[in-house]
Amino acid sequence: MADTPEAIKKSVRTYMFVGGILFIGTIITVLVASVEALDVGEHGFDKWDCILGLTIATIKASLVAFIFMHLNHEKKAVYWLFASGLCMVCSLAGLTALAIFDPIHDPLFFGKESTTPKILASPSLR
Amino acid sequence: MEIPYVVTPRKDTGLFNSKIAIWLFLASEVMLFGGFFSAYVFLRLGADYPWPERTLPVLPGLINTFVLIGSSVTVVFAWASLKLRNWRMFQLFMGITVFCALIFMVLKGIEYNVKFHHQAVRLKDYTVMEGHLGYEKELDHNGNKVEENLIFIEASKLTYSTRRFHKPWVDEILTQAGHHNSKVVLAADVAVVTKEGQPAEVIAKAGEPLSAELLRRIEKTRLAASSHNSALRTASLREEWVKAHAANPDKKDWQIASGVNIDTAALAPKLLTEISTVAFNIEPPARLDFKPRDIKEADGQSRLRDDTVVDGKLLASPMVFHNVDAIDFQHLVMKAKEKGIDPEVAIENSWLIKNSPFAKEAWEWHQGEVAKLEERLIKEYGLDKSGKPKRVPTHKELYRIGWKDFAKKAEQQHGIKLSTMDALKEEFMGPNYDARNPHADQAHAEGEHVKETFPHFSLPREQIGFAAKFTPAWNTYYAIYFTITGLHGLHVIGGALVLAYYLFFGRKMYLENPEWLANRVEIGGLFWHFVDLVWIFVFPILYLM
Repeated sequence: MADTPEAIKKSVRTYMFVGGILFIGTIITVLVASVEALDVGEHGFDKWDCILGLTIATIKASLVAFIFMHLNHEKKAVYWLFASGLCMVCSLAGLTALAIFDPIHDPLFFGKESTTPKILASPSLR
Repeated sequence: MEIPYVVTPRKDTGLFNSKIAIWLFLASEVMLFGGFFSAYVFLRLGADYPWPERTLPVLPGLINTFVLIGSSVTVVFAWASLKLRNWRMFQLFMGITVFCALIFMVLKGIEYNVKFHHQAVRLKDYTVMEGHLGYEKELDHNGNKVEENLIFIEASKLTYSTRRFHKPWVDEILTQAGHHNSKVVLAADVAVVTKEGQPAEVIAKAGEPLSAELLRRIEKTRLAASSHNSALRTASLREEWVKAHAANPDKKDWQIASGVNIDTAALAPKLLTEISTVAFNIEPPARLDFKPRDIKEADGQSRLRDDTVVDGKLLASPMVFHNVDAIDFQHLVMKAKEKGIDPEVAIENSWLIKNSPFAKEAWEWHQGEVAKLEERLIKEYGLDKSGKPKRVPTHKELYRIGWKDFAKKAEQQHGIKLSTMDALKEEFMGPNYDARNPHADQAHAEGEHVKETFPHFSLPREQIGFAAKFTPAWNTYYAIYFTITGLHGLHVIGGALVLAYYLFFGRKMYLENPEWLANRVEIGGLFWHFVDLVWIFVFPILYLM
């Protein structure tokens, strides 16, 4: 971490630069969502808008985490803590996703075949 | 006592202690917000109604994003200033950070406030209407404005539960009956057995006027009787168990349990009267009004939330919109498609189109606009190999007439236009009814609503399927929206308080041990960056998708 006055002064410039990128990233996110000519995929919101929007958000969030929160040069303990929280979320969300994306789900299990799209065939979500 | 490792790092972790603590906390925060984000995804995938896509005002959300990013930069500058031992600059940057938090919360407050006062109603045929209700001329007993959304009953009888009557409502009904010169009196003598083995005694006589005190007196008698009877039943049951054990010494409890019962016949003469309801007549019958959330209305017999039963005819109780600002057929179309009905036919036959000339005209105008949009999309983006348009209007564009569409229509047809400042204000506060309905008084007097941007509309009670303000009650989208943004807002407040504490009370520590304060600010800053990081996802997910 930047501890000497020189190093801190240098990192201040980085913070300003990153702040600028975050502002620009936000403007891009809004533009691709509201300006028709920049709309990706189909007209209006669709999966490509979702992917693009979340990609920009992830890049912005990574910049905040790595530069502002100094995750680019932290001690091992911090990485372990943060990564374990992240893994926990991903695995629990993944488990919940099984309710929808269950590969062995039988649409006829409850009798009548569902008329809802396959993705919503899970009884808990009908 | 000196606290260890507040400045110097511990050898095993290489970090000062509070840093480990904040990262532990942030890891738990990742799980908390992660859980809500995944809840959002599954609620959206499983929604059985058209998900409100891109429904929130983008401008306030965008400004809030800028404000939070800006504050993230200033908080790290504040930390750097402390490291460079520059107290003045620290104060400046930290002051800006706290001010940014204030701006964020003010904008959020405006956003919430607009939603809490915006009415939505789903008709029985799944047409959705949005807008603002009017207010009754009279204020309620607390001096608050009452929306023109009351339920009127020509009440002749009230039956109170002695278990859970609500005193303010009792008083309210008495006041209302008083206004109509009606009396609320006990329908019959209340005769109860208050002592074991004694005959019933009259504790309240027919004709006695309703009061909370009278109900409380009856409730007291019931409680005493209930307590007495319970004790008797328990004693009787104990006795039966003793007998059963004596008769079946080798058997387990579960084997004999079905045979152990209270001897109700023997107990009956000893019991006191537990009076559960008490009826009052309204003489002569009077029109009482109730707020929809307090009553489950029905013609003949309605029930209040405190279990009071109101006997009487349900009178016309329309929900009166002074300004309808959106008509949404998306849900109706979804239901029609499920049944294999052509969406256009379903809309043409909807109750609203048949009963509101304005809605009919607006729908026809909207169809024209959609046709223009379809034409433009084909012109600009062309057709694919199979001859189908590459880009087509969205479900929302096809079937929702939002407030901006109404504004556009009025501008085209009646030349009603707002100044740039007024239009900008609308981005924060929602539609400006006064400015966009310049002829409202005249139109209202003449019963002619088609020249208004946002028409007056009286919706009969029997057409209402479900009604709510734009609160978590309206649908799962608003539920998760308020949960995530509310929780995030609490984090903003909490973080700002901590940072403000360093700003206003940090001077002493700065003079004694500046490195310790720098470390504290770093910890507060880490939390603040995390709050920003969460918003970086909240903004696109809730506002732009």
